[in-house]
Amino acid sequence: MSFRDTGPLIALVVIVGIFAALSPGFRTLSNAQNIMDAAAVLAVVTCGVTFVLMMGSIDLSTPGIMGASAITVALLVANNRNDNELGLLGVALAILVAAGLGCLSGLALVLLKVPSFMTTLGVSAVGLGVATLLFAGVQPNISDGTLSGWAVDRFLGLSTLTWIAVACVLVGWMVQRYTRLGRYAFAIGGAEEVLALSGVNVKPYKVAVFTMAGAFYGLGGVMVTSQLGAGLVQAGRGYDFSAITAAVVGGTLLAGGRGGVLHSTVGVLLVTVLTNGLVLVGVSPYWQGGVQGLIVVAAVAAAVIPQRRRNQVTK
Amino acid sequence: MKFTSRRTAAVVGVALAAATLTACTEEAAGDDTGDAGAATESCDPSEVTLVGQVRNESNPYEASWLDGGDAFAEQVGLSQERLTYDGDSTRQQEQISQLLAGDTDCLVMNVLPNGDSDTPPIVEGAEEAGAFLVTQWNKPADLAVTDYDSWLSHITYDGVDSGKQIGDALAEAIGGSGGIIALQGILDTGAAKDRFAGLEESLAGNPDVELLDDQTANFSRAEALDVTKTLLTKHGEDVKGIWAANDDMALGALEALEQAGRTDVAVVGIDAVPDALTAIEDGTMTATVSSDGPWQGGIGLAIGYCVATGELAVEDIAAEDRAWYAEQFLIEQENVGDFVAPETSESDFACDNLFSRSQGAIS
Repeated sequence: MSFRDTGPLIALVVIVGIFAALSPGFRTLSNAQNIMDAAAVLAVVTCGVTFVLMMGSIDLSTPGIMGASAITVALLVANNRNDNELGLLGVALAILVAAGLGCLSGLALVLLKVPSFMTTLGVSAVGLGVATLLFAGVQPNISDGTLSGWAVDRFLGLSTLTWIAVACVLVGWMVQRYTRLGRYAFAIGGAEEVLALSGVNVKPYKVAVFTMAGAFYGLGGVMVTSQLGAGLVQAGRGYDFSAITAAVVGGTLLAGGRGGVLHSTVGVLLVTVLTNGLVLVGVSPYWQGGVQGLIVVAAVAAAVIPQRRRNQVTK
Repeated sequence: MKFTSRRTAAVVGVALAAATLTACTEEAAGDDTGDAGAATESCDPSEVTLVGQVRNESNPYEASWLDGGDAFAEQVGLSQERLTYDGDSTRQQEQISQLLAGDTDCLVMNVLPNGDSDTPPIVEGAEEAGAFLVTQWNKPADLAVTDYDSWLSHITYDGVDSGKQIGDALAEAIGGSGGIIALQGILDTGAAKDRFAGLEESLAGNPDVELLDDQTANFSRAEALDVTKTLLTKHGEDVKGIWAANDDMALGALEALEQAGRTDVAVVGIDAVPDALTAIEDGTMTATVSSDGPWQGGIGLAIGYCVATGELAVEDIAAEDRAWYAEQFLIEQENVGDFVAPETSESDFACDNLFSRSQGAIS
């Protein structure tokens, strides 16, 4: 790891240090568990968005895809709306629906040549539409023991949801590091023309990346459902921008070709620690939004400065 | 239901029959209520068109509002046109323009404007077309209903009062002393400000209840879950109660309490969403406040209907009944049964009883 990669990590350590010094409540074991639990969903969603960002595309379909998968899973496992009781099969089907929606974004991008900004915004609306239709005016509350247990049951101090997030980050990292899909995603973001000229058909890889991202969002939607005990149309509200923010704070560039899953995960922790720490330190809610924004900008700047120096040296 | 009264129901029946008879004579009826105004000729009750418009039917509260409108329409032998605009201001204006482009002589509209700024164009349009309009919840403070003839009334709810009611219920539930935390709504909305001001009033009256912390969770169930978990870490066993500015956040807080294994914390919210009512029935939640959606759906149409048929003249509606706060109801375990399947009662919509739920003019 070069110095430019460690900027966000240093920022994370510094911020944790400051909060730990200021607040006794922050440096407790139970609060560490809180932070990990609170970061779990965002970490999974950010895994997905990272691959899209690495390609130099953008993905705003998160709220719609998460909403659709949240309602789908709530209606497929044991719930108060129907007699379905599919358990883990229901979870898998919800993720499949989400992957299908992600695939739709990718297909619209490569076949219709619509910019990813627009296709994913459209797919988000489609997902919310599907979710609203399935919602049909009555909130599905889940009674499936396994799914609701994910938020409560703990192993080595961390909830099952957190372990799922850890597994996702590992899988994401391995895909990025060891598979053709991951390496091509990087290459598409770095220099798509070169890749195309060397005879690689990039289109299937683009569709595959969006499909995989959709699956991650879908799992995120399932996790929110597990946490809240109910399938909400708005399960993914705000996750589009918070995931992109976390990825960028962690050092994944919007321009593509830089960063990766581990970088983004550091960003997720940074954002989550900030939200948690500001409450524990006792910053007034009226100030929090502004303070949080300032710290994020400062952290991004700190992460980008070393990179800029490096760029200047090589050019 | 507690609002029913057989005597008033009988009066309504007689009044309705009378209205039907007098309207047939094609005079400017309503002799019993004074001069009905030169501009509006009374409509035959069967010619009145009733329209209810809300954001969407996927929201249980707004769906119940339209059901209340249907109940009133059935009561007077008509049917209500149900309109929804998906929280899209442009679509709302388009629907209103379309309505106003048709026959507007006996058109009655009960409208939930999307936001404050959406109200003026709707009001102007209705005034020009001579359609009878009642609005609810949103209106710019400087827009006076009394400046208009077709805009009959604006109804809203006192957020300070609802915030105080659940604050007091919470104080009682924790035995009058102990620490509480507050989950605020979106900080720059009127609803969030008023409701929190209500909590502060309640705290002033319960000096032994201490507000340990107040944070915003933006009216969202998911955010409330995370914020509550953090606050439980910060204050631990000192937290005896949680005050939430709406039921969604209260439900998020309940989930956080369950995950933390806490069963000794009282939770209150506002809005009376179905899941909150279930939680109150089960005893996991302490209280919520209802604006009575079905009544809202019926009352707007009723006011318009009474004026359209000449039973009530605009000039005779007192100034304080042109823009007013309606009564809201505190729901606790004792009375939750009345609200699980809310119904309207005919007497609430009688022309001489329209403003009975007024808690005073909007100041």
